[in-house]
Amino acid sequence: MDKILKLWMKYHAVFLSGLYGTLWISAVTILLGTALGVLIALMRMGRIKPVRILAEAYIELLRGTPILLQLYFFWIGLPKVFPALELTDTQCIVTALAVNASAYISEIIRAGINAVDQGQWEAARSIGLSDIHVMTRVIFPQAVKNILPALGNELISTIKGTSLASVFFVGELMTSYKSVQSATFLALQSLTIVGVIYFLLNFTLSRLLGLLERRLTVSD
Amino acid sequence: MTDEILRTENLVKNFGDLEVLKGISATIRRGEVVSVIGPSGGGKSTFLRCLNLLETPTSGRVYFEGQDITRQKAKICAYRRRIGMVFQNFNVFPNMTVLENITLAPVLEKKTPREQARQEAMALLERVGLAEKADEYPRKLSGGQKQRLSIVRALAMRPEMMLFDEPTSALDPEMVKEVLSVIGDLARNGMTIVIVTHEMAFAREVSDRVLFICDGVIKESGSPEAIFNCPHHPSTIRFLSMVL
Ligand SMILES: Nc1ncnc2c1ncn2[C@@H]1O[C@H](COP(=O)(O)OP(=O)(O)O)[C@@H](O)[C@H]1O
Ligand SMILES: [Mg+2]
Repeated sequence: MDKILKLWMKYHAVFLSGLYGTLWISAVTILLGTALGVLIALMRMGRIKPVRILAEAYIELLRGTPILLQLYFFWIGLPKVFPALELTDTQCIVTALAVNASAYISEIIRAGINAVDQGQWEAARSIGLSDIHVMTRVIFPQAVKNILPALGNELISTIKGTSLASVFFVGELMTSYKSVQSATFLALQSLTIVGVIYFLLNFTLSRLLGLLERRLTVSD
Repeated sequence: MTDEILRTENLVKNFGDLEVLKGISATIRRGEVVSVIGPSGGGKSTFLRCLNLLETPTSGRVYFEGQDITRQKAKICAYRRRIGMVFQNFNVFPNMTVLENITLAPVLEKKTPREQARQEAMALLERVGLAEKADEYPRKLSGGQKQRLSIVRALAMRPEMMLFDEPTSALDPEMVKEVLSVIGDLARNGMTIVIVTHEMAFAREVSDRVLFICDGVIKESGSPEAIFNCPHHPSTIRFLSMVL
């Protein structure tokens, strides 16, 4: 305990900047993943069969392979495919995380939309709303209530998932453990500090989510 | 016939292997009130839903004012704006206030100015006794109030025709009357109506014509007096003996 405190006093700047890395990487992953996820969900639910199959394959592929493998794949592959962009390790890894998250998020969005009563589609169509307005004015606002809580859970698993970026020494919390550990050889102590930070972060988030969820169901 | 508004020609609808409509030809005249009766599962809802293309017919045609609206390039949205539909389960939009439920389509699709849409909606709400609920959310309404709301939501588009699919079947008995009286008013004011209903007394009172649909075909049709007093087809006789 004493050692942990001392370690914290000395290296808290490293851990905090690691936390900062984890936070922004997670946020960007979820934002990009959601944008991409909406697109994939629309493709998956659309009327054009080849597009639908493409979206399904995308989802299955990303859910059926380990995320670490995907990170390696993007880390090695992206710079080869787009040499002109001169991508940094961090950019490759964030792209990989976002692509991975998009598969899960697209399924969350699809499930949220499917959970809206079929009668709402019919009523919206029967008064002559265009397809776009049926979706944006009637279905999606109702689906959001199903989507937001699940998206929150996805954020939590993304936060945990970003720890894999430490394999590539991308600046985030788990990487800060590696730095401190190699400077001090206090492995268990630094792991404990990092673990506590992860836990506090996710615990707070899941409590906030619980509140949000209750808010959303009350308004029904 | 010159005053025809809607006509179906040999309408067939299959769900997979199940043949639900087996060739329905019917003509609805402007201002006419047509009741559709028949046993559950006989295809009444499917027939109604084919009329505004919520279901795409497997074969056959639907003509609205002489235009074939089942052809590929028909503008389905524009067509649906001219036909209102009311469902058994109300299907009011829970994410909008009563007023917004009504003004949504006129403002979005007819480009009615917001203030004008609001005034028209208020007048409609007044007509069905819901004016003081304008700013409530539908979850605060009773079943009967929700159904009256869904009726005025459809009327706000100034449709030329209304379809009702068992509008009172999901209501508690004490609320049936308030909804039927709104529909009755519409009928008396000259609205063209096709209504699927189990309210035989109501069908008899307001209809100009009754269609008996069973096993995906119109087994019998005629004036309410003819159908209710001296039905000919055995299945009509059997059905009426069970419900009357
Ligand atoms: N979307 C659908 N998919 C498969 N079968 C359906 C669908 N809609 C209706 N049916 C079937 O079609 C038949 C007629 O249904 P419906 O038109 O609702 O009858 P009614 O309104 O007279 O009770 C029923 O057997 C029903 O199960
Ligand atoms: Mg029915």
